[in-house]
Amino acid sequence: MTAVYEVEKLVITIRGVTVARDVGFRIQQGECVALAGASGSGKSQCCLAPFGLSPGVASGSAWLLGKDLVGLEERRLRAIRGRDVGFVFQQPLTALTPHLTIGRQLSEAWQQAGAPRPTRAELAEALARVGLDRPGERLEQFPHRLSGGQRQRVMIAAAIAHRPKLLIADEPTTALDAAIRADILGLLSRLRAEEGLAMLLVSHDLAALADHADQVVVLNDGRVEESGDARTVMATPSRPYSRALIAASPRLDSPRAPLPPVGAPLIEARGIHVSFPRPGWRRGRVEAVAGADIHVAEGEALALVGGSGSGKSTLARAIARLGPIDRGDVRWRGRPLPARQAMPPAARRGIQPVFQDPVASLDPRWRVRDIIAEPLRHLRPELDGARRAARVAAALEEVGLDPALADRRPATLSGGQAQRVAIARALVSDPEMLLLDEATSALDVLVAGRVLDLLESLQRSRRLALLFITHDLAVARRLCHRIAVLDQGKIVEEGPAERLITAPAHAATRKLVAASH
Amino acid sequence: MKLPLAIIGAILLAALIGPALLPWSHDAIDWGAIRAAPLSPGHLLGTDSVGRDLLARTLVGTRVTLAVAVAAALVALLIGVAWGATAGWVGGRVDEAMMRVVDALYALPFMFVVILLMVLFGRSILLVFIGIGVVEWLTMARVVRGQLMALKERPFVLAAEAAGARPFAIVARHLLPNVAGVAIAYLLLTVPQVVMIESFLSFLGLGVQEPLTSLGILVKEGADDMDVAAHALLLPGGVLVTILICLTIAGERLRDRFS
Amino acid sequence: MGPLLLRRLLTALPTLAAVIILSFLLMRVAPGGPFDGERALDPATRAALMHAYGLDLPLPEQIGRYLWRLLHGDFGPSLVYRDFTVTDLVAQGLPVSLRLGGFALLLALILGIAMGLFAAARAGGRTDHALMLGATLLTALPTFVTGPVLVLLLGLWAGWLPVSGWGDGDPAHLALPVLALALPVAGAIAKLSRAGLATALGQDHVRTARARGLGPVTVLLRHALRPALVPVASYVGPAAAGLLTGAVVIETLFALPGLGRYFVQGALNRDYPLVLGVVILYAGLIILFNLIADLLYGWLDPRMRG
Repeated sequence: MTAVYEVEKLVITIRGVTVARDVGFRIQQGECVALAGASGSGKSQCCLAPFGLSPGVASGSAWLLGKDLVGLEERRLRAIRGRDVGFVFQQPLTALTPHLTIGRQLSEAWQQAGAPRPTRAELAEALARVGLDRPGERLEQFPHRLSGGQRQRVMIAAAIAHRPKLLIADEPTTALDAAIRADILGLLSRLRAEEGLAMLLVSHDLAALADHADQVVVLNDGRVEESGDARTVMATPSRPYSRALIAASPRLDSPRAPLPPVGAPLIEARGIHVSFPRPGWRRGRVEAVAGADIHVAEGEALALVGGSGSGKSTLARAIARLGPIDRGDVRWRGRPLPARQAMPPAARRGIQPVFQDPVASLDPRWRVRDIIAEPLRHLRPELDGARRAARVAAALEEVGLDPALADRRPATLSGGQAQRVAIARALVSDPEMLLLDEATSALDVLVAGRVLDLLESLQRSRRLALLFITHDLAVARRLCHRIAVLDQGKIVEEGPAERLITAPAHAATRKLVAASH
Repeated sequence: MKLPLAIIGAILLAALIGPALLPWSHDAIDWGAIRAAPLSPGHLLGTDSVGRDLLARTLVGTRVTLAVAVAAALVALLIGVAWGATAGWVGGRVDEAMMRVVDALYALPFMFVVILLMVLFGRSILLVFIGIGVVEWLTMARVVRGQLMALKERPFVLAAEAAGARPFAIVARHLLPNVAGVAIAYLLLTVPQVVMIESFLSFLGLGVQEPLTSLGILVKEGADDMDVAAHALLLPGGVLVTILICLTIAGERLRDRFS
Repeated sequence: MGPLLLRRLLTALPTLAAVIILSFLLMRVAPGGPFDGERALDPATRAALMHAYGLDLPLPEQIGRYLWRLLHGDFGPSLVYRDFTVTDLVAQGLPVSLRLGGFALLLALILGIAMGLFAAARAGGRTDHALMLGATLLTALPTFVTGPVLVLLLGLWAGWLPVSGWGDGDPAHLALPVLALALPVAGAIAKLSRAGLATALGQDHVRTARARGLGPVTVLLRHALRPALVPVASYVGPAAAGLLTGAVVIETLFALPGLGRYFVQGALNRDYPLVLGVVILYAGLIILFNLIADLLYGWLDPRMRG
């Protein structure tokens, strides 16, 4: 049987820089091949450049249905894209045209291969097929009325509307909430079987690929690191890079090291309420946190887990006195913690935050040494210049950064380096608790894995308490003693990490657990 | 950006030292050379309808126009940054009220305010242009407020709060330095705006008064006389347009660099 | 859509009231009065005139009376153009200004968006740079320089077009003033639409459209243009109001009997009702055009309908 799509000795350059070399794979009808690798490994380029959808220039060969795409002019490529191939992209929130209705965009895709104008019933049927509820109503809606998962279903419906032979899905689930990722991958697999599609799937999440791909190609820095049967590669990766990639996205059943012992109560918060003015012109307020209680002891790590908009960041910032609070009682070692505006330096020293976006966490105009020294200036005014410099140097070393970085500005740092600087800034004043607000979720998988390793070792060496905000249960389980699940501003379930994962009681918890398997 | 700024620099230099080097002052009348053509003896660029040296008049007019423009733009910068930074930092109802004032001032016909200011302060050109600055700060205030609102949401501001920095220190050490670039770009863009207003008022006879002159007055005089002496319009008009274009290009490039 | 309109109108009314009161006070703070002409009036006549026009009443009462009459559609009498009401003067000037500003706006929109589209279609190329430099030059051209220069070139030297006067709205008479008025606005619109298109073309949905196999023209016009015009819409609101009422220089230069001239004369002569009438008209137009811009946003980008 001949392959639907076959790539041989593919080389891709962007403005003279080679981002992929010597890549090869073949996809038969009904088969799914996955390209896996960290960001920057060239996997997206490999799937988009031959079709003229990225600035990359391809050489080598890419045979689609017996025709070589490499070197074809844009006009011919355009016809091929409209007729033989369907694409699903990473960002469903922005991948649909905002001012055209769902129906209009779907029929545009439908007619592109020369088909007659579809009827309403046909369009609704296409939406029903991808599992969208109330498909008839959806046709008149604009994309922003739909959730991320629903929009991705529309993208998929449009991608297969013209009955292509090949479906290319570039990180189709990365931007979605964990709970719906599995549904989308399942939908793609079902359609592939029904339509006999050849599918090229791109992802950095190797583990998720095992159930959905037949073959996997692991890319590292533009080269094929390893390739073969998906289950075999997953079970017995032959290369260190593949092993690192698999380890970087921990599973709920991966082994974990014993956690450090827990001491006396450190922070206790009761009855926390936070609300925000309703956006726009309507009166009234929206409750973001509605009466939450949490407590963390010395050396203990508590994970706050929940979907986006569940109020987990708002709650954590409220009790750390870094965000608004309506009412509620917060005690630090049994004494009431002063209000946000009245926090004395001594109280600020206790809790230090690390945020999600590493680059936005650092003032772009400051040098690294001044950024790390800022807490010392305000919180430890008794230290002189020399002692401050010594502590900054020690903090850089503790987070594994080259002391030479001290003179750099944030714009010249990588994401991982910037996040380490943010951690160094949080550590330099010797806090007792870190507030980690999705501290690894904006980082690339491998970098995130190493930052997690760093946090784990700091947790032990400094006996740090952690308030760990995340949407990823597996990551929470690795570092945290207890997990609290937030849903719509309320803590719906709380308990020891293992118990909560093995025997979830609340529906929201069960959904999160299911998404992490 | 270098070329436009270099041209502005050259014009500025010529306007500052040029008049001292010329035999004619800008308001001296040469009875022997009325409406002299360019390149006539003693008058490199000719004279106007009453025999005043056009080169001297253009240089002095440029000096006056630029001086008042810079003064007014600085006033606009001060008010705009203070107003915008306060609104953006304090936020909430204060911000809403302060921005409502800006909206209302925007809705006032700008000409009306300027003309009233002319009437109020008509005696002193310095006051006139402080007055123009008072009108021109609105855009600066909006831009600074917008920048500050965006910066305030950045986690580095929260990190500074956690590091124990007081609100004043956060504004002074983190926020304003990050707004400075954009503010300077808009300052550069305000200068041509003010040049245009000044020339426009002088053109209508409401701005700078004789015997002092400005580019706007010269354009007006040139326009009145263009059927017989086109160069009297084209020379000051050309200088004015060159200044406006160079400042606009420099300001826009600077603004794009910061956004 | 309905609630949005209502909300906008409700917030517009206080703004309008504030503008009226502020203008009223500003006028009165300024020294001088409507009857301080070249020829001094004797005190008795002056007092009689002040009384006749209600100018001797306390300020709050004057404002109150003015607003009350305004509610009944009466803008009051002109103090300087005796025997004319402000409504008469506005009725004479407004059609001229509307015609001038309307054509200028139309020309600026067509020219500006066309420049923006061509530049974006050739993004990064020489055409793009040349067009954008041209747009910058246009925005930096003051009407009081372009006006006379256009008259000089096309009127006096080439002799193609009449140089001044209204000519009862004859298109040839309008050509030069409309062109001088439109050029800087066209430059600004060109830059805004080019920047909007650059943003729109870099967005994910454009890649989706290309992946669907659509050609470059369809992608540009169907998928990129509408969201790209959002900044243009927010600029055009105030710009249109300015074009319709603020073409003072052009009206002076070309001797056109529009609103702008009445306005300047009114302000200089302290013709309070005339100036206030024009101010209210202007503020009303700004509010109206911003409202139209708000409605346009919803069509250009449905996400902004809230």
